[in-house]
Amino acid sequence: MSAPPPAPRRSTGRPRLRPSRFELEIAGALVLAAVVPLLASMWLARTLTRENLEVALNPRVVEQLESTPGLYRDLFQARKGLYVEQARGILRGLPSDRARLTEFLASAVERTPRLRRAAVLDEGGAVLAEAEASQPNPEGEWRPAPARVEIPEAASRHLPAGAVLECTFAVEARFFVELSEARELGEVYQSAEALRSDIQRSYLRAFAALLVAWALGAGLAGGILARRTTRRVSELVRAVGQLAKGDLTVQVEAGRARDEIAGLTRAFNSMVREVREGRDRIVYLEKISGWQEVARRLAHEIKNPLTPIQLAFQQLEARYGGLGPGGRDPGFERLLSDAGEIVREEIGTLQRLVEEFSSFAKLPEVRPEPAELGEYVEEFLRTSPQLTEGADVEVQQGSGPCPVAIDRALMRRALSNLVRNAIEAARPGRARVYLGVARARERAVLTVADEGPGIPPDLRDRIFDPYFTTRQEGTGLGLAIVKKIVLQHGGEIAAGARPGGGASFAIALPIAVPLDPPLAGS
Amino acid sequence: MRARARLAALGLLFLLPAAALEPPRTLPCTIESSGGRLMVSVDLLDAFPADLQKQVSNGLMNVITVQVGLISERDGEVTALYARELDVLYDVWEETYGVTVKDASSPSGRRLVFDSFPALHAFLTRPRGVDLGPVESLREGGWVVQTRVELNPVSRELLDRTRELLAHPATAGRGGGPSRSVLGAMASYLLRGSDPAGEVHVFRSGPFSSAAVAPR
Repeated sequence: MSAPPPAPRRSTGRPRLRPSRFELEIAGALVLAAVVPLLASMWLARTLTRENLEVALNPRVVEQLESTPGLYRDLFQARKGLYVEQARGILRGLPSDRARLTEFLASAVERTPRLRRAAVLDEGGAVLAEAEASQPNPEGEWRPAPARVEIPEAASRHLPAGAVLECTFAVEARFFVELSEARELGEVYQSAEALRSDIQRSYLRAFAALLVAWALGAGLAGGILARRTTRRVSELVRAVGQLAKGDLTVQVEAGRARDEIAGLTRAFNSMVREVREGRDRIVYLEKISGWQEVARRLAHEIKNPLTPIQLAFQQLEARYGGLGPGGRDPGFERLLSDAGEIVREEIGTLQRLVEEFSSFAKLPEVRPEPAELGEYVEEFLRTSPQLTEGADVEVQQGSGPCPVAIDRALMRRALSNLVRNAIEAARPGRARVYLGVARARERAVLTVADEGPGIPPDLRDRIFDPYFTTRQEGTGLGLAIVKKIVLQHGGEIAAGARPGGGASFAIALPIAVPLDPPLAGS
Repeated sequence: MRARARLAALGLLFLLPAAALEPPRTLPCTIESSGGRLMVSVDLLDAFPADLQKQVSNGLMNVITVQVGLISERDGEVTALYARELDVLYDVWEETYGVTVKDASSPSGRRLVFDSFPALHAFLTRPRGVDLGPVESLREGGWVVQTRVELNPVSRELLDRTRELLAHPATAGRGGGPSRSVLGAMASYLLRGSDPAGEVHVFRSGPFSSAAVAPR
């Protein structure tokens, strides 16, 4: 009985805080790659900012903006002058009859554009006559613009000395809104012009902050990506170190990546697995060889005394049978008959055991020949009526050929052992056995499954050990013989559970490389 | 105690920029005592440009800051400081000069209106009766009056409006518009202060002692 082989151990890929040299080199390269264009960008940003400010804060533009309120001043002065002239024009038609004054003013308000009110005031500002426009100003909101002219020769018009004509015109309110906006804009541009160098510095700092943030983000993303690669390389390096120390269970998580590192990792895992399997195969075969020698000696030691025992008992029975009826004792005769049955049965059992031991000890060398595994299984069933009579056998063939190189006789023996075990497992009921043939990568897989009680997981590693059995009448050699035959074919065998219940044995054999067809005429 | 510390800080600000600029020019001034207070009248004509009328009549806000300080000649300590800000805006419709005066007595400003430029000019160039504290503060030794005049510095309000312009260039300072520049917003955030952008003129009177202060 051997200890179960250690399960493959995955090398953990947990991220470490301390960066590896590889990571540092990549990070350094990224920083270098980021800094050079950063400096160039800063120079470009400085130039662009300066040129943009020169365009935006062009002295002519600023000057024009600053002079805009002056334009409104000129506009207002012109309007005021116009209104004074219009007031003088009204004054010229002012009637000398004071009674007609109001009527005249109303007429003047009606015919003069933008005139909202006309009034004659005395020196103290008291209203002597007035008229106001009844209709709303056609140009919307307005502000009053009074134009006041002194009335000459007031006495001749029956007016007090110092009387004035006050005409209130409507100035569009939008002018003042526009003036306010122009003033604000002019002041802001004047301020911006004064702050030009500060603004340029601010833009440069903002650009630098954005670039640095961008470079940091890119560096971080690059670092994370690099870490994914360097971490896997580090894991590989560590796993190789463990392998060098003789740990054949080490495996590295390859993940789902399809890059070269993932390929290298998978190749490493495959290589370690093959080395481990090769070593296990050698160890197992050496162990089996030892057990074969033991079996050979046991068979020899048991077989030798069996014949004398059998002959001695036969002589005893013959001697007693030759006695006459008077010499016989009925009780002794019954005892002799029972003992004879026991001796013959036990000798038969021992002879079968010896045969099995001898058979195990004399397993021949494998002489492989090309075969199609699916066809071979069909042939096996056709030529094994004793098996198919005792069980319902179902064969499932996968798609695709499964060319293998097998020793037909030895493989038949292995297959018989497995099917017989399946039938035994189903007793006392009728067994249902499933045989499957499929191709998985570079292996042809032959599966033998049943609906029996199955194999407990903790026994699956031990059932291939010689003389290990769970059956009372078993010798514990059947599965050992099967495994040796499979290993001699360069294959592997594994025990497992059948989905739905029962045991399952999977034999994986290497796919045979077909020989080149002979050339015509050769 | 806190008032002294505040005065010292203001005095430092008052003195520091002057050190970096042109050497002080001579300040014509009259120093009198009135009601136990030290009253100073200065002539700042040289601080203003020859085309001041054109400048202040352009319809835009013109800001003038005036600081008058009493400095000990012995240790350079600012004993009293008077500061005021004048916001001058020419009303192009009314054709008058509106001046908002902000100082310690009226921090939110008091409004004056001048009908003519000569009246405004006189008000700007010849501040009268600047109160520099009690006469008793003049200890032994010599004293000087230093005046710092800055024309059109960038005020806090203008700085804020300029930052708004940078952050919302499409709306040109009107504010609240939908357009926002990321780079402009960052530049606006980083535009915290400014170097003295306007013209700065510093004047210093000749030394005088407390004995030279005549009652008004």
